[in-house]
Amino acid sequence: MPSIPLKTGPYTILPLRVPAIAAYPHETSHYLYVRQHAPRMEDADTPRSLFVANLPIDATEGSLRKLFGEQLGGAKVESVEFDGLRSKKGGSIPLLDNVASGTVVVLKPGRKRKRNAEDVPQELELPGIWDQEVLKSGSSAVVIFVDRASAESALKHCKKAAKTQKGVQWISEAGLGERRYLTHHTLRYPPKPTLQSRVNNYMAAYHALETARSRAQAKQRNLPDEEGFVTVTRGGRVGPARLEETQAVAEKLKERQKNAVKDDFYRFQTREKRKEREAELRKGFEKDRRRVEEMRRRRGAVRPE
Amino acid sequence: MAPPALKRRKLNHSSNGDDKRLAQSPLVDTPGTSDADNVPSNASNADMGSVATSSQADEDEDMDEDDAYNPDEEEGFAEEEDGLEDEEQSESSPEKVEKAKPSNGHQHIQGNNGFQGGGYTGEVYKSNLFKLQVDELLQRVRPKHGKKEAYAEDALRTLKAIIERIPDREPQAITNAERSLIKSSKIAIPFSHPRPPKDAQYKLQYSKPASVNAVGSYPLKIATRTGEELCIDLAVIMPSAIFQEKDYLNHRYLHKRAYYLACIAAGLKDDKSHRFKLSFDYLNGNHLLPVVLVRGNGDGIKGDSSASQFQIRIMPAISDGVFRADKLLPVKNCVRLKPGDDSASVSEASPTPYYNASVRNDCLVTSYLKLLHGASGHCEAFRDACILGRIWLRQRGLSSDVSGGGFGNVEWAAMVALLLQGSGKEGMPIVSTGYSSYQLFKATLQYLASKDLSKHPQSFGVKAVILPTTDGTPVFFDGPRGVNILYKMTPWSYGLLRQEARSSIAMLNENIFDQFVPTFILRADPPLYRYDLLARIPVSSLGLPSSGEDTDEELDRICRKVYSCLSHGLTDRVSIISIKRPEDHAWDLGSRRSSQVRDGYLLIGFLVDPANANRAVDHGPPAASKKEAALYRQFWGDKAELRRFKDGSILESVVWSNKDSPLSVFEQIVQHVMTRHLGLSVAENITFIGDSFDHMLPGGSHGVQPGVGPFQPTMSAFRTLETDMRALENLPLSLRHVQAADPQLRYASIDVPLLSSGRPMSQPADVVIQFEGSARWPDDLIAIQRTKIAFLLKLGELLEEAVDGLSARVGLESESSKILNQSFLDVVYPTGAAFRIRIHHDREQTLIERRLKDKSLDGAAREEAAVTLAAYKRDFLRSSTHTQTIQNLSTRFPMFSPSIRLVKKWFASHLLATHLSPELIELLVARAFLQPYPWQAPSSPTTGFLRTLLFLSRWDWRNEPLIVDLSGEMKSEEFSAITTRFEAWRKIDPVLNRVVLFVASSEDPEGTTWTDNAHPPLVVATRMTALAKAASQSVKQQDVDLEPESLFVSPLTDYDFVLRLSPQFTKDGQRRKDKGGPRAQYKNLQLQAASVEERELVGYQPVTLFLAELRDVYGHAITFFYDENAGDVVAGLWNPGTARRAWKVKLDYSTMPVSKKTKTASEEEDSVDVEINKEGVLSEIARLGGDLVRKIEVNRR
Repeated sequence: MPSIPLKTGPYTILPLRVPAIAAYPHETSHYLYVRQHAPRMEDADTPRSLFVANLPIDATEGSLRKLFGEQLGGAKVESVEFDGLRSKKGGSIPLLDNVASGTVVVLKPGRKRKRNAEDVPQELELPGIWDQEVLKSGSSAVVIFVDRASAESALKHCKKAAKTQKGVQWISEAGLGERRYLTHHTLRYPPKPTLQSRVNNYMAAYHALETARSRAQAKQRNLPDEEGFVTVTRGGRVGPARLEETQAVAEKLKERQKNAVKDDFYRFQTREKRKEREAELRKGFEKDRRRVEEMRRRRGAVRPE
Repeated sequence: MAPPALKRRKLNHSSNGDDKRLAQSPLVDTPGTSDADNVPSNASNADMGSVATSSQADEDEDMDEDDAYNPDEEEGFAEEEDGLEDEEQSESSPEKVEKAKPSNGHQHIQGNNGFQGGGYTGEVYKSNLFKLQVDELLQRVRPKHGKKEAYAEDALRTLKAIIERIPDREPQAITNAERSLIKSSKIAIPFSHPRPPKDAQYKLQYSKPASVNAVGSYPLKIATRTGEELCIDLAVIMPSAIFQEKDYLNHRYLHKRAYYLACIAAGLKDDKSHRFKLSFDYLNGNHLLPVVLVRGNGDGIKGDSSASQFQIRIMPAISDGVFRADKLLPVKNCVRLKPGDDSASVSEASPTPYYNASVRNDCLVTSYLKLLHGASGHCEAFRDACILGRIWLRQRGLSSDVSGGGFGNVEWAAMVALLLQGSGKEGMPIVSTGYSSYQLFKATLQYLASKDLSKHPQSFGVKAVILPTTDGTPVFFDGPRGVNILYKMTPWSYGLLRQEARSSIAMLNENIFDQFVPTFILRADPPLYRYDLLARIPVSSLGLPSSGEDTDEELDRICRKVYSCLSHGLTDRVSIISIKRPEDHAWDLGSRRSSQVRDGYLLIGFLVDPANANRAVDHGPPAASKKEAALYRQFWGDKAELRRFKDGSILESVVWSNKDSPLSVFEQIVQHVMTRHLGLSVAENITFIGDSFDHMLPGGSHGVQPGVGPFQPTMSAFRTLETDMRALENLPLSLRHVQAADPQLRYASIDVPLLSSGRPMSQPADVVIQFEGSARWPDDLIAIQRTKIAFLLKLGELLEEAVDGLSARVGLESESSKILNQSFLDVVYPTGAAFRIRIHHDREQTLIERRLKDKSLDGAAREEAAVTLAAYKRDFLRSSTHTQTIQNLSTRFPMFSPSIRLVKKWFASHLLATHLSPELIELLVARAFLQPYPWQAPSSPTTGFLRTLLFLSRWDWRNEPLIVDLSGEMKSEEFSAITTRFEAWRKIDPVLNRVVLFVASSEDPEGTTWTDNAHPPLVVATRMTALAKAASQSVKQQDVDLEPESLFVSPLTDYDFVLRLSPQFTKDGQRRKDKGGPRAQYKNLQLQAASVEERELVGYQPVTLFLAELRDVYGHAITFFYDENAGDVVAGLWNPGTARRAWKVKLDYSTMPVSKKTKTASEEEDSVDVEINKEGVLSEIARLGGDLVRKIEVNRR
């Protein structure tokens, strides 16, 4: 192992030893960059978190728990937040994709939360199709420990391990290989009842929300605000435009165009048109000439093969 | 079109100057040129005159200055003036400026077009682009006066002087003459066959030539500079005194001429003042007319060896009038059967047009010079038209040489000159002297293409000449000079010429694409590109007489026989049969001509009509008409049989089948005809070239003509699916469209999907359905996706109820996004057909676009919307139209489908296929079929494949978009809109990170549908071009000896590392397993057992999933290569961007810190570099692949 630096900037470089496997029978090294978590917006968890960068692609919460728990001083990990998981799993789902429709959903926050609380979010989501996610190469994670002390001790152990230069054994937890793809292939086709119920749940929630929204909108349409203005909202039309009306308008427009002065009525118009055409030809010619020059510059002289 | 008009005027102007110069050219250095042949002095002196003017003429360097001096002018102008005196230039410039006003440019052109008679009324030039390129080309190839020319002219003068010094020789009997020449100078007289009889009465004699002149294209300034040697013809006019009036009979003239030539050769050889290389050759391969070939010695002047590369042909000739022209008309016989029989039993003997024309041609050397000079005098564009013609002919491998078809520069120039004078309707010229060079060129092609001169001989300048219409030789009779210009042509070379003319006319009539390159730049003659099928017969198997000199005539006879038998036997299966004889070579002065011809091959090229090529039955005449039936039987031998057909007719017929023969029907016919009419030895030695690529295709064994046929079961399975779906009654909404969107459903997958109940299709074919519009769809992207799932569940349920044994499952996809299409329905029929159905809902587009425009969303969300929109358009709009189009093209061009499959296989074998969308490859092949120029649309998979590779090797994708006109109705506005879009892309993304190839079509003007997001990436596109170049190079070099397999292999050492996959997961491995598996014992048991399990696994390809994940995980850091079709390796290249760099916490690849070597005290803390952790990454890949990967080999660390 070549000598590697211990630190770079605020990061401790923690070498991992990766055991050899049959397809690639060499022991290799992997390097983690660890530091005290320091986000722009600190929150309550920040003091007890470490930021770990350049994770192996098969890192999981379990494997990191083991890494810190068994090999780096036994600090207890509470949870791990991965950055750069390939599928955006977790977090709340945007129930409605209505941001784009340009309307502001006026829903009392309390009510919304209530609804979310009623329907378990997992039921709304489509079933996952991977049993085990793989990270993108060079991903990072925030590891949250049970308390501040564990976090600090973990970092200390990291520094110590880095100094020995021997590295820490990396034990992959993930079940990878062909089996995982087979599982994925099976998971892709969820059982019909599951799928049906998820879709139904979602659609029910959607319709409820939609109704609530249109009700709110209708209400808003009739309600002047304190200055006496009525906010314009979508859906206020009496009915669709009538076909005859549009036809009549189109007819009228056509008539007007017909009576207008034609393009070749005045002499100057013809003259200008001709000039325009000439200019166009000229421009086209110039363009072509440039193109030919360009071609010559690129390929050298024209020469029959 | 104002600018071309300006050009026309300037042309006028400059050519006046040119004439002036010619007229003024001082007549120096022409001592021996007497006016014996009443040639106008400037014409006969043109050759030497140019020597004198050489010093003024050599100024092409001035050109650039001219450009600078008047930047508004097009550059063509300057060269037109090339060689004018300075004062003329300055004089003309004010005038020029005045004319440059575009006042009446347009009218000028119209006026110009107005008076043009004849069949041709086109533009003066095709387009600006075309014209500018033609100008540049002309400037490049137009004869110049450089070192080379000066040197050659020097040689001319030397030769002339030597020839004029050769002493006369007394008349001698033939044997004596021969003996004395061998003795004195070791020269064998190149007598033509038959050799003069020993007892011949006439004597041979040499006396001082009447004149010695350069003739042909060089003095006329229509020679071209195209890399080859400079070639000049030197005519030695023999004195009339040595001939008698009837010497034109029975080769007497030719023998005297041969002796005369030998004497010149002797004279040159004996003269020690020069160091030229001398040899005998035939004039244009005409075995009656030997010439002496003089080459430069190669040592050049002042060490510049290239300057001394020239070739001067010394050709003896006689003046017109020595023999009576009417005796040598094509219908006369001049070779009497009984030697010595000069009397008038002419009427019985068959005419000898070839012999007659050969003799006649010798009389006309100066007279043609005069004709051409006259033409270039009164038609300013004549010279350029000749040069264009020359290039056109050269690129198509056509030449005056007999083996080159007998139509070359000389014939072209004479034809244009005659068309300028000659009689169209009512004696009017067919082309006008006012034509531009391009118009002249095109009109001549048009003439060649439209007139069948072998059926309707044309005569020019005279009326009521009886012209022969016998053996298929075309006749273009030059009346005043009394010779058929095309006498050297054969029926097949004429067929080929017309074919080329036809396709060039078609190409020039196309307005959208720039056809300059296929017209003048591309070489159209490599046989593998040109012909659909080639057959090669060794000359040695033809049974030529072992000795004697009539080999040539015999070979000629055999060629004609082969041609007539083949065209009779193959009927409408072919459109062109062309025979190429081995070429002659010059031979040594001292020896008789050796016949290297014997070691050569006859190469027969076929242009096939794919619709008929492999028809099984040929109908002959009805049995009732005895005579024809007998002839038919005579031709086909025992193959002919009497058959009764469905309509009740009883016909002689021939039936073919490819069941018990390894050859295709077409090849069987060739073989049969050859066996029957030329003997078994010929037939046994035929090798067929060109269809050898067919069996590179999976499922394409030899003799089975691939086409759309193998795909029929899949297509009908799709139709069943559609009917089944439409028959469903309880669907919530009715179906509007059911559209195929998969290569397997457009005849374009490498493997033909095999349907069997035990093994369903391994990859389900994509199908897009659309329901009738309804207001009840939710107006929200995610909700739409969920609704689709509900629909698919319902549809699957109904299908399973309706069709017995069908299984349907809803699957999920695109887990990383919520608004991309989320679901599909896999339907597997009991027959094994498998489909993947997705729902197209057109409201999505509006919603996505709205999202894209929404300013309140963050960048990532808008980016996602953009990706989704592109995916939507690709998967739901373009893919199905594309499938439709490819289906249509496949039925229009039967060989389209196998060509696509071959090209795809090529990409796959080079591990590139996963980087290019199948649609992109299909478009590349479509180009070869829809813009086939300079050829016609390919009629064999081989030509389709090779021409696609040729295009790839030439495609400069950095600077040019690929535009395919699938509809055939593209407008030039659309075309320029696409070009503009392409330019915009190159401006946005100049380093080609996103769009590397830009491929648009009439269906898809966006051009990035199939190639956006670096698909393929730059490295792959570069490799593609390099491989295509290598392939085209080997086609060029190895020609017909090319091994097809060699184009499909590239070494794995090119990659940084290689993952060897475990065999049980590769397609090849699975195939092997299937064959020898233990389950094969009880077939029906296996069927039932396998079905459920296999159905579950439809579409399961672990390696593809693995690869997709690798690409996703490592992004741009590694480029992976894999052959989905048959590969057992995944190869990888590290991106050079991952090399050592300064440390940074978030890089999108796994890194390894490295201490900087030079540490400065101040930045000790931060001085850490990183590079990609290659070892670590490989270990990760091994872990990810698990049992998929057997071994990782590292080629480079």
